[in-house]
Formats: sequence, structure tokens, C-alpha cells
Amino acid sequence: ENITCTKNYLSIYLDFWFPPTFLHVWRLDFPSCTSQGGQRFLVKMAAPLTLLLIVAVTIRAALFRSSLAELIAERVEVVSPITAWKRVVEGLALLDLGVSPYSGDVFHETPLIIYMFHFLVDYAEITFMLADVITAVALYMAVKEYNKQVFRKQKFALEADRYPMDSLELIRSPKEMYYVPLKVAMFYLLNPFTILSCVAKSTCGLNNAVLALFFLSTIKRNVLLSAIFLCLATYQSIYPITLCAPAMLYFMQRQYIPVNFRRVSFWWFIVQYLFMYLGSLFVLICLSFFLLGSWDYLPSVYGFILSVPDLTPNIGLFWYFFAEMFEHFRLFFLCVFQINVFFYTIPLSIKLKEHPVFLIFMQLAVISIFKSYPTVGDVALYLAFLPVWSHLHRFLRNIFLVSCVLLACSALFPVLWHLWIYAGSANSNFYYAITLLFNVAQILLVSDYFYAFLRREHHLTNGLYLKRKDGSEATLILK
Amino acid sequence: MLCYTSLDILDIQWIWQFFSSGHTNNWAVLVCTSRFWFNYRHVANTLSVYRSVKRLGIPDSHIVLMLADDMACNHRNPKPATVFSHKNMELNVYGDDVEVDYRGYEVTVENFLRVLTGRLPPSTPRSKRLLSDDRSNILIYLTGHGGNGFLKFQDSEEISNVELADAFEQMWQKRRYNELLFIIDTCQGASMYERFYSPNIMALASSQVGEDSLSHQPDLAIGVHLMDRYTFYMLEFLEDIHPASKTNMNDLFKVCPKSQCVSTPGHRTDLFLRDPGSVLITDFFGSVRKVELTMDAINLTDPIKQMEEDPVNGEEQKEVYSYADQLPVSEIIHQKPKQKDWHPPDGFILGLWTLILLVFFKTYGIKHLKHIF
Repeated sequence: ENITCTKNYLSIYLDFWFPPTFLHVWRLDFPSCTSQGGQRFLVKMAAPLTLLLIVAVTIRAALFRSSLAELIAERVEVVSPITAWKRVVEGLALLDLGVSPYSGDVFHETPLIIYMFHFLVDYAEITFMLADVITAVALYMAVKEYNKQVFRKQKFALEADRYPMDSLELIRSPKEMYYVPLKVAMFYLLNPFTILSCVAKSTCGLNNAVLALFFLSTIKRNVLLSAIFLCLATYQSIYPITLCAPAMLYFMQRQYIPVNFRRVSFWWFIVQYLFMYLGSLFVLICLSFFLLGSWDYLPSVYGFILSVPDLTPNIGLFWYFFAEMFEHFRLFFLCVFQINVFFYTIPLSIKLKEHPVFLIFMQLAVISIFKSYPTVGDVALYLAFLPVWSHLHRFLRNIFLVSCVLLACSALFPVLWHLWIYAGSANSNFYYAITLLFNVAQILLVSDYFYAFLRREHHLTNGLYLKRKDGSEATLILK
Repeated sequence: MLCYTSLDILDIQWIWQFFSSGHTNNWAVLVCTSRFWFNYRHVANTLSVYRSVKRLGIPDSHIVLMLADDMACNHRNPKPATVFSHKNMELNVYGDDVEVDYRGYEVTVENFLRVLTGRLPPSTPRSKRLLSDDRSNILIYLTGHGGNGFLKFQDSEEISNVELADAFEQMWQKRRYNELLFIIDTCQGASMYERFYSPNIMALASSQVGEDSLSHQPDLAIGVHLMDRYTFYMLEFLEDIHPASKTNMNDLFKVCPKSQCVSTPGHRTDLFLRDPGSVLITDFFGSVRKVELTMDAINLTDPIKQMEEDPVNGEEQKEVYSYADQLPVSEIIHQKPKQKDWHPPDGFILGLWTLILLVFFKTYGIKHLKHIF
């Protein structure tokens, strides 16, 4: 078994160097060697991953020791009133003086953060570096597992002859997917946004770690852990509750529960998952009450996120609108803006019910664009997923535009901030214009990937070269 | 002791007049509340009054002068380092011996009220304080832009007539003045003295409520108006006063009638205990020192007691005096020890870690227990 497995494995490799016909390659029993091959994969990839981790930790340690650390910790694009490290220190100091840290408008973190940093405040840098490492490793393992599932599904679909002949060039091969997990880890760790967020000691890094662990536990089919991590992520900032839908869809797909409103098993699974989720949320909230002995944290954390009282400029869309809004319209627009985050869940879930992982990516992107206090750390998380969809590049239409706009906006943020605040020759409109442009570029990126994904799915079912009924070439438009 | 014997009735009257006012020292608080080049005339007003008051004997140590002081060295001043008043067109009231106590942005409502009431931080120098006592006569002169019930300070804040009245009441209750003469040269200046309620205040204003105080002619070389009419005519009047003159307040009330001033000057004497006709101008504008002539030697105090130094318990007899500790620096600089080091409650820690362990074993199975225990 082992020998044939190895031979098959080797022959795949040899066959790729001297390509015979495509179909011939794919008839081999590659997936039966998955466990062995998987271990080989693991062994082969551990060294580059370790190297990447060492490089990332070195960069962060070097930046921590330099004078840039204080500079970065003050940038509004990197820290927000919810995630600032300065506020965590302030809250802990207030606690030491015997005052509730939630009195006043300083501290908006959850009590679990107080508990954690009460003991770790001297090792804060190591904590945030560790959080980044955990995120990267979790994403790495999750994407690897996901790739294996993609392969398996592809193999079944091929054996069932579900793909038309001309769309076979869209099939993914192990060679191209070999480096994808490493690329995901690299995209996360070496992204300047992530590095800035880590050096600024923004608690967004911890939120990203929890979300990555949620993703990992979802992919590894552990319902309890997935519910618990999602609950932790929701407990810290409310918006990840929208990730319940893709998680449930994923589990239902893996457990072969049909996504049909009339089926009892569908509702039963939803009840189970929601029970675990809401139960752990309840337990967490009660535990937080017992930590400080009061319910002060509820308005300070959740009331703050939902009612957006602090209008410090950031890279989001809320501050400028609400700075110039009249008081009697405020509640209405607050509801409109907040619903915007949650609104895309149901339509996207209906459209992408076969592809819950892509739905997770879309949801994460929607959350980090439309949340009330976004930072570049949130952007970095969903940007890390891009290598997973690198096979879509032939269908993406706006790569050049989006990348140029994102780079230009990232460069212009500090420039226009300086012009507005220090030089006094610009005003808030300049900064808001760049914020708007940045968000438009993000939306364009996300919608582009959505288009490319759907188009690839369409081609996989309907063939690559589309023909109209009379045989002439047809083009595909996303309406 | 005074020798009466060789004096006649007129001299006696003169002597009683000498002691009739009851004050022993004079102070002046002269405030110009405007800044910027086009308010040149307000600075010139104040400096002219300053000059007169100094000429009549009040020393700089008893004058608190508050100016924005941006005229003499203003880059629009065609004759730098000078501030001209309209008197003779050539009188440089700035000179080289003017002592401005509050200049620039220090001329604020808060500082003015603190000067009046004496509530200044301990670090304030003497030149910035009004160190008056209950035998002081104080002249307060305000000029600038005003309105009905308020006076504008440096374009950013206002003082109201109620605040001013309350400040004077504080001064009265703290016995910071014997008599007070309040002169104000602004638009609708009479509104500023309407609310006074403390005794011994006499007030003059350049215009009534609803009237504007106008400026005198402009100087074409400098380009701005140099003085206001009321102050101009008041200074003409003051030029004739010398330290020994007997002119009284009734003459001051007649300064600048409507024909010259266009606005109607007003005054208020109902709070003043003496008859204005018996109040000399030099009681407020000058500093006439009272001199008591004696021929006898006066025994001032009892013989000074020597400290008895007992060699046995010398320390007990010495009373150590110390200042009251106003700023307990040692308490502030040294870190307060953490009285209550906050620690998470035990129940919380227990609950949290129990939960974590439960989840761990649920996920990975009970078989891992043997690795721990």
C-alpha cells in the first residue's frame, strides 16, 4: 500500500514534468494517498513556514525596538477607540486606582481583555506577536485542509463527469495549490497593514487571531470549537455574528444535511449550532459580569460600537457622516449604517450556499469595510485570503485599478492627515475623500472576486467557451 | 501731636480738609481691552491717563497697567516705538519708561477680576498685584469696545456689568478699598455702572445706554484715530490739575458736554458717602502723601523680651514656627502605594479555567487527561 502510494505520488510528480494528457493524470488514485501525502506535505512545508514565522517575528521585533513604535501607535488608520493600546493601559491604570475602567469614555474593551492583560501587560509585545503567529498558523492549517476538500470534491466531480470538456483547464492542480497555504500565511504576516497593526499593539490582532481560529475549527469540522471561537469574536466586536451563516452552511455541507427550509434536519442543526453559540455567549457575558461585578461594560463596549459616539477620523465611513448630521436624523442614519453590515448576509448566503468558505471571505470583507470603527488590521485579515482564490485571476477585471487605488490611498492617508491636522492647509474633506476612495477600492476588489468566482462556477457547469443557440460566441455579464 | 496754637480758623479748616478723605494710599488700575491696529485710540487713551496719573504722583508700583501693547511695535506704525495721543499731536505717551504689567494675551477677564479681588496664584509678582488695603483709593479706568451691559475683552470674551459689580462687592467685603472711582470710556458705558451695589463707589462713563462714544479726529500720518473724545477732553481737564489743586469732582462731571462729545457723559454718585463737591480730583488721580508732624518722641513698643535659654531643656522652650504646607509635594511626587491591588475574583478565575478545560476535553477526548495528571 505504502509503496504503491508512494509510486503513485511520484508518478504524479513525474507526470507533471512530462505532461501527458490531462485526463490520464487525474484518473490516478491520488486522493487515497491523502493521509500519507498530507504528512509529506506537512513535513515539506514546515521548514518554509518556520522561516516565514522567524522573518515576521524579526521584522516586528525590530520595529518594536525602533522609535517608530510610538508614531505608529498614534495613527488613526491603525488604531481606533475600540482597539487602541493606550486605552487598554489607561483602563488597567484606572482599575488599579479602584475606579471602574468603564467610567468615562476611555476604555471600550471587553472584560476578558482586562483579565488577560492584567497579567500580560508587561509582555504585551510578545502577546501581539504571538497573536499574529497564531493567526498565520491557523490560516495556514485551515487553508491546507480546505485545499484537500477542494481536491476531493473536484475528484468526485471529475469521476462523475460533471465538467464539460472545454472547462478542464479551469481545474486546479496540486502543483499550483501546493504553495497556497504558505502564501496565505505570508500574505498575512508580511502585509504592511498587519505589521503596522501589530507594532501599534492594536487589539485588532487578537480579534483576527480568534477569527482565524474560528475558521480553522470550522474547516476541521469541530462544531463546538467553531461556535465557541465565533462567540469570542462576537463578544469582542459584534459584527462577526454574521459569520454564523457561512459556518452553519459549511457544517451542513460536510454533514450532508440538505439546505432546504422544509427539512427537519436543517432546522435541527441550526438549533444545535445556535444553542451552542448563544449558550457560550451567555456564559461569557455572565463571566464578564463576575469579573468586575457590574454590567458597566455592556453600554461601554456594545453601546459604543452600535451607537458610534466617538467621531475620530478613521478609514471607515461613519465619522464624516455623523460629524455633520443633525441630531434628529442621527438615529435613523445610525440604523441604516449598521444594518448595512448585516444586510448582505442573507442574499450572499442564498447565492453562495454551495461555497461557504468563499462566503466567509465575502462576509469578512463586508464586515471590515462597513464596521463602525475599521482599521487596517481588519483589512489585512481578508486580504490574507486572496491567495486561496488565485486561480480566479483570469476572470478578474479590475486588478490593476484596485491595486493602484489601494496603494495610492494607503500612501495618501498620512499625507492628507498631516496636511489637515498639522499644516492646516487641507480640511477633513480631503481625508474623507481618500477614505471613500479606499473603501470604494475595497468594495471593487470584493465584488470583482465575487464576479470571478461566480463566473468560474458558471463555466465549470456550462463550459468555457460559451455559445449561443446559433453557435456564435457569447459573453457573460454579471447583472 | 499737632500744634494748634498758632493757627487760625482757616488753617484749621484746611487741616481738617487735609484729613477729610480718610485714605492713605492711591492705586490705579488702567485697562485697555482692545487689540489690533485699528484700536490705536484705546491704547492711546489708557496711556494718556497713565501719564497723567504718574505725573500727579502715583508711582508705577501702585499702577496696574493692562494693555494689549501691540501698537508701538506694530509693523503698521509709521513711527515705531511711539504711541501718540492727540494732545499737541506730538506727545509720545509711550516713551521709554512705561511699565505695562499685563500685556498681550494676558489681558483677560479672568486676570482683570483676579487683580481686583486679589485672588492671584502665589507666584504672581508684586507688579501684577493690586496690593490695596482698606485705606486705599483706587482709580479704575476701562476703555475699549462695549455694549449694553458688557465690555469686550480682546475680541474673544466679555465682562458683564454684573460680574464687575460682584467683583467690587468682593473688594468691599475684603476691605480692599476705601473709595473707588470708576471711569469707563466705551460705547454705552453707563450700562456698566448700573449694577454697582457696594458703598463708596463713584462712577463716570462717556456715554449713556444706547449711545456710542465717538473718537476724536484721525491723524493722517498715522492713519488711525488717536484718541476718543471723552478721554481727550478729560485729559485737557487733567492737564490743569497739579498735586496741590483743589478742583473737585463736580468739575470732572462737567467735562465733555454733549456739544463736544456728541454722546452724553454720565456719572453715578449715590453709592458714595461723601458729597462729590468735597472730593478732590487728586484724591484719586494723584498720590498725595499724608504727613504727620510731631515734635515728641514716641515710645513704640515695650522692651523686647529676651528668649530664656534654659541649658537643661533648651529644645522645649523653642517654638518652631513653620509655614503651612500649601503644596504637599512629597505626597504628590512619591507614588501612592496601591491601596487595593485589583485582582480578578477567584470565582471568575475558577469558572473560566473550568470552562476552558471542559472545552478542551470535549474536543480532544478524555484520554488526554492522563497526560496532565
